[in-house]
Amino acid sequence: MRGLLLALLLAAQAVPAAEAPLRVASLNLTADELLVELLPADRLVAVTRWADDASMSNVAGRVPATAVRLPRADLERIIALRPDLVVVSEYTDADFLRLVEKSGLRYHRMSGLETLAGIRAAIVQLGRAVGTPDAAARLAARFDAVLAELARRVEGDPRPRVLYWGDPHTAGAGTAIGSLVEAAGATNVGREMGLRGIVPLAGEKAFTADPDAFLVTLGSGASVALRRHPLLSRTRAVREGHVVEMPNHLLVALSDRAADAAWWLASRLHPARVPEAAPPPKLP
Amino acid sequence: MSERDRRLLVFAALAVALPLVLLAALSLGSVPLPAGSVVRSGLARLGAYGPTPLPEMGEVILWSVRLPRVLIAALVGGGLAVVGAALQSLFRNPLADAGLLGVGPGAALGAVLAVNLGWAQQRFLAMPLAACAGALLALLLIYVIAHAGGRPTLSGLLLTGLAVSALAAAGTSVLLVAVEEFRVRTVLFWLAGGLEGRGYEHLALAAGFVLPGAAALLVLARPLDVLSLGEEESAALGLPVHGVRILVFGLCALVAGPVTAVAGSVPFVGLVAPHALRPLVGPLGRHLLPASFLAGAVLVVVADLAARSFGEYVELPLGSVTAFVGAPYFLLALRGQEGRG
Repeated sequence: MRGLLLALLLAAQAVPAAEAPLRVASLNLTADELLVELLPADRLVAVTRWADDASMSNVAGRVPATAVRLPRADLERIIALRPDLVVVSEYTDADFLRLVEKSGLRYHRMSGLETLAGIRAAIVQLGRAVGTPDAAARLAARFDAVLAELARRVEGDPRPRVLYWGDPHTAGAGTAIGSLVEAAGATNVGREMGLRGIVPLAGEKAFTADPDAFLVTLGSGASVALRRHPLLSRTRAVREGHVVEMPNHLLVALSDRAADAAWWLASRLHPARVPEAAPPPKLP
Repeated sequence: MSERDRRLLVFAALAVALPLVLLAALSLGSVPLPAGSVVRSGLARLGAYGPTPLPEMGEVILWSVRLPRVLIAALVGGGLAVVGAALQSLFRNPLADAGLLGVGPGAALGAVLAVNLGWAQQRFLAMPLAACAGALLALLLIYVIAHAGGRPTLSGLLLTGLAVSALAAAGTSVLLVAVEEFRVRTVLFWLAGGLEGRGYEHLALAAGFVLPGAAALLVLARPLDVLSLGEEESAALGLPVHGVRILVFGLCALVAGPVTAVAGSVPFVGLVAPHALRPLVGPLGRHLLPASFLAGAVLVVVADLAARSFGEYVELPLGSVTAFVGAPYFLLALRGQEGRG
């Protein structure tokens, strides 16, 4: 019943088929990942150059060949592609957006991606904006299912205290990484320390926080830096080898793949409850 | 060739060069537009030619994106060069430029604050306006501190500017460390100088200060010439030295502040243009200031064209392009000056 109501609500708010954008250009990686799922190939006219980079993108190798790869947010090139919708990020400058509008282009701005609930809402909103609310609802349903299954599995298991270490940045409250850590059945030490946003953290404070595990980006050098750090190398987590190196494309995932990222992290933090081999639930 | 003929030749060359580089900058870019079509599109807008030969997409690129950007580049270059010429006379140093004013670090502090607080992403013109406010506040602070102990000397004014600049730079560093990593790119691009994403509103902001400011400096050309003789000599000739000096200093900051707010840091333009022109048009302000404006405009329009033409993955920072040209020039000029000294 709730699903039916949601579907009706989405259908009512969606862009009517006649007005649905037929040529959509994406100016951020999150939108690239979502639009590959939401749109038929011929409606996706441009993606960022990062979309094909397997170290960052969760859709590398799946982006339609017909979509132009934009090396940068070059408005002249975007205009030349004649998109009827440009999808931009929360961090796009207001001045750039004004110029986009003045050029006669319509844009959809993705926002609220600092929480998993926000990511879910952004998926639904993007689906409405591009006229494919049903496909977005399916993505959101899978997202919910993965997270619900994950929550069920880690329920009752002690929550390890995890500190994201971006040498010297960490993730406090109101960050996607913080939400990811919490969804994976852990406590975000950054939030516990009263931090907000991605902020620098002094080594001495990280040391005294005494996390159960550090979360770092695989291949970023942060793991090596931790082991060489005069103080942090002596933390319990580093001494006992509790440094989780997460692939970058999962750590920065702000699309529906954020649920898969939470699953991946949980499999490292709760190996008995979330076996590494167990794949996330498939689409309902 | 007489000095007058040489001066006329330089002005003629600049008067021809500026429209040519403007046309080149309007034609070239990510989407090339034929120069002839650009001209005919302009004539069509004026009603002097039939329908524009450009497709709709080309019209949008030309009139909504490229034209304001190119005009801003010309204003930025012209403004910085005029300020450089005025300051070189004021400080009696041919290597002076807007960097001495302390408005750059003040503008940077304002811009970084706007990004840090999220204004730059949420509110149109927030970043240039915050940068402009930062620049003008820095100027006000310099003025108030320098006058706290009575009328300041020129070196006192300069050293106060240096101290305020250092304070603003320290504040910028603190905010940069605290800024979210996704926002860092915005800050870095602004700090490195550039004109991407600038439209007619930015043009209006720059023009509102640069054109009247440059005109006022041109009006002060004669007092500037007198000032360049030296403080005692100027006073002996009846010039209100302190008043003129403060007026010139303030006008320079009023031009350089908004220019920096719109374009970020664009170094060396104010040094190179007047320094290179002085041997050609002479040291008199009424010749040097307008010639510098034209040369500065040409220089930055070309630099911006280079900045947006050479980098496929990322637009080269405009400030880097002008520094690549200006820094070697500065070193050569410095060696020349030391050789003469």
